[in-house]
Amino acid sequence: MSQRHVSRRTVLAGALGATAALSVPRMGFPAVKKGTALRMWILKTYVEPTNKAIEASAQRWAQKHGASVTVEYFTFEDMQTKYVAAIESKSTPDVGQLETGAPARFAGMGQLLDLSSFSKEIDSQAGKAPANVAPVTMLDGKVYSIPWYVMGAFWYVWRDVLDKAKVKMPSTFAEAKEVAQAVTRPKDNFYGMGQSWNRTADGYGVMQSLMYSYGVGWADKSGKYKSIKTKEMQAVMKWATDIYKDNLQPADTLTWTGSGNNENFIAKNVAQTSNGPSITFAMENAVAKATDAKDKKMKEEALANAVALPHLGGPDGRRMQAIAMSMGVFKGSKDPEAAMSLIAHLVSPEETVMVMKDSYGQFAPVLEKAKAASKDYFNKNENYRTFGRAAEWFAPTGWPGPVTAAAAEVQASNVLTDAPAKVIVDKWSVDQAIEWEDKKIKEIYDTLKG
Amino acid sequence: MSARTGWSLGARGRETGTALLFLLPLFVLVVGLIFYPFYRAIWLSLTDKLVGYPERFVGLRNYEYLAQDDAFQQVIWNSVVFTVVSVALKVVTGLAMALVLNNLIRARNFLRGLFLLPWITSTVIIALTWRWMFDSFPGRGFLNSFLLDLGLLSQPIAFMATPAGAMAAVVIANWWRAFPFFGVSFLAGMVSIPRELYEAAAVDGAGASRRFWHITLPGLKHVIIVTTLLSFILTINDFNIIYVMTRGGPGTATQVFATYSYQVAFGQLRWGRGVTISIFVVPILVVGIILISRYLLRDRR
Repeated sequence: MSQRHVSRRTVLAGALGATAALSVPRMGFPAVKKGTALRMWILKTYVEPTNKAIEASAQRWAQKHGASVTVEYFTFEDMQTKYVAAIESKSTPDVGQLETGAPARFAGMGQLLDLSSFSKEIDSQAGKAPANVAPVTMLDGKVYSIPWYVMGAFWYVWRDVLDKAKVKMPSTFAEAKEVAQAVTRPKDNFYGMGQSWNRTADGYGVMQSLMYSYGVGWADKSGKYKSIKTKEMQAVMKWATDIYKDNLQPADTLTWTGSGNNENFIAKNVAQTSNGPSITFAMENAVAKATDAKDKKMKEEALANAVALPHLGGPDGRRMQAIAMSMGVFKGSKDPEAAMSLIAHLVSPEETVMVMKDSYGQFAPVLEKAKAASKDYFNKNENYRTFGRAAEWFAPTGWPGPVTAAAAEVQASNVLTDAPAKVIVDKWSVDQAIEWEDKKIKEIYDTLKG
Repeated sequence: MSARTGWSLGARGRETGTALLFLLPLFVLVVGLIFYPFYRAIWLSLTDKLVGYPERFVGLRNYEYLAQDDAFQQVIWNSVVFTVVSVALKVVTGLAMALVLNNLIRARNFLRGLFLLPWITSTVIIALTWRWMFDSFPGRGFLNSFLLDLGLLSQPIAFMATPAGAMAAVVIANWWRAFPFFGVSFLAGMVSIPRELYEAAAVDGAGASRRFWHITLPGLKHVIIVTTLLSFILTINDFNIIYVMTRGGPGTATQVFATYSYQVAFGQLRWGRGVTISIFVVPILVVGIILISRYLLRDRR
C-alpha cells in the first residue's frame, strides 16, 4: 500500500539519481561530451619529434571522442612565466604538463584539481610510478597530477679522449675531476670538463645532484628547513669551485646559457659534461643528415664515442635531480571529466610508447606498464640503456623531503648556483658562500610559513 | 541684459559639457593605463602578494627587506653603472655622429637612415649579435676569431667571464643600439641653429672648437637634456639586452632592476617583492624628471 503512494517528488528524485548514476564515468573511462573543446599546455623540448608526437597523441584522443584539443607550448625558458600569467589572469589551460616543482606549487595555490581517486584508476590501468617519483605529484597526501616520464640528466664523456689518456670512465664527481685533470690541454683549447653554474637546469640541476649525492639537503624528510652548514656541503662547494680554480674548464663556462654545454661537448672542446639526451638527438640527426659516406662514417664514429653515463654519484650515493613530468587538471577547466579522459589516454602504455619512440631517449616512462613496454626501445645501445634507467636515480627538488613550494623557490631563486659563483667570481671563501646560501634558504622557508 | 547673460551662461555650460565629453576618452585612457596600474603597483609593493594567493597588507616590509638585501644592493650599483656609462657614451658618440653628418653635403640623408638601423632593429637580435661578437667559442666569436686570425692572440679571450667584461659587453650592446637616436636628434637640433651665428663667430676669429663650445652646445642644450632623460629612463629599465646576453651573470655581476624584478616575480613567484624592486626606480626617475622640467621651464621664462 505504501509502495503505491509514491509522490511525484520521489519519482523525479529517483529519475535524477538514475541519470546521475548512469552519467558517472566508468573506471578508467571518464565521460567526454561530443564537441568538448580542451586547451592543453605542453613543454616544447629541443627534440622536436617528441613535441609533435605528444600533439598527435592528443589529436587521436580528440578524433576518438569527437572533441577538439588546442595544444599550446611553453619552453624551458618561459614555463614559469606562462603559468604565472595564466594563473593571475585566470586563463589556465584545462590540462597542463607540469615539471618537478609545479604540482606542489600550483596545488598549494589551489589551482589544481584533486586527482586522488582518478590516480587510483590510472594505477589500475597503467601501473604505479616508482616510490621516488610519485611524491612529486602529491601535496599533503593528495595527488594533484599523474606522473608520465622523467627527462634525466646524464654524464656525457668522449670515450676516445679518455681511452687515449688511459683513464677509466668516471662514476663519481671525484673521479670526474680526476679525469678532467688527466685530459685537460689548455694549449690546444681542450678542457676536461664543462660544468656551468648558470641559471638553467644544467646549472641548478647538477648542483642539486651534487649536493644530494654528498648527502646534503636543505630540507629534512618532512620538508622543513635544515641547515647546510656542514662539512659535506664544504666538500660540495670545494668540488664546484675547484673545477674553475684548477682551470679544468673553458674560461667562459660560467657565461654559458642552456645550449653552451651541448655545443662545447659536440664540438669536442670539453671531455665531459652533464646533459639530457638532446646531445644524442643532435648527433643522431647529424648522422642522418650526413652529406656523403665519409662524412657519415665520421659522424657515426663521433656518435659511438659520445657515451652517456649515469649521472655522477658521491659519498652518499647516486642521486640525480631531473625533470619529472606529470599531467594536471586545472580547477578552471570547464570540463574536468574530459580533461581526465585526455590524460588517461596520454599516459596509457600504448600512447606513451608511441611518444617515447620519437623522443631520442629523453622520455623515460615511469608508469609500470609503459616502462615494461619500453624495454626493447631502451635496449638499442649502451646510451639508451642508461637513458631508460633515468627514474631509478631520480631525486626531487628538496630531497630528502617532498617537493614543497619553499623547495621549488630555493631552486628558482638561483641561490644554489649564485653561491659557487660568489667564490669563483667575487672571490668569497667557501665558508662565506655557504653561510650566505644558508641564510637565503632559511629566509625563504621562514617567509613561506605564514 | 539679464537675458543675454542667461544665454551666454547656457552657451558656456553647453561648451563646457561638450569639452568634458571630448576629454572623457582621454581621461579614461589616462586613468586606465597610467593611474590605475601605478596605484596597483604601489599597492602590491605594500603587500606580500604571492602568485596564486590573495595579497595581504604588510606595510613597508618589502622595502625593509630590500634595503637589507645584499643582492639588491649589488643590483642598484649595477643599474647605476650600466645606465650612467651607457648614456654618457651615447651622448658623446651621438654628438660626434651629428657633427660629422652636419658637415656632410652629400649622402647626409642616406647616412642618417643607415645609422638609424640599430635603433629600429629588434633588441633581441642586437643582444644575440653582440653575444656572438664577444663569444669565445673557438672559431665562432667574431672578435676572438678576428684577433686570432691576425695573430694578436694565441688563445681566445672569454670577454664575458669576468664581472667587468660582462658589464662592458652589455653596456656596449646598449650603447650601439641607441647612439644613432642621439645622433639623429642632435643633428636635427644642429640644423635649426642659425648659420649666421657661425658666420659671425668665424668673422670674429672663433675657431671650430670655440664655435662648438659657444654656439653648437648651447644651441643643442634642450635636445641633449630631453634625449638624455629619455634614454636614462629606457636604459635603467632595460631588460632584453641583459637577459639575452648574460642573464644577470656571471654570478650577479650584471643583475639590474628589471632582470632582478623578473626573477623575483616570475621565478620566486613573489609579486609583492618583485614590484617593489621596480618601484625603487620611480623616485630616481621622478626626481630627474622634476629637475629637468623645472630647468627647461625656467629657461623658457
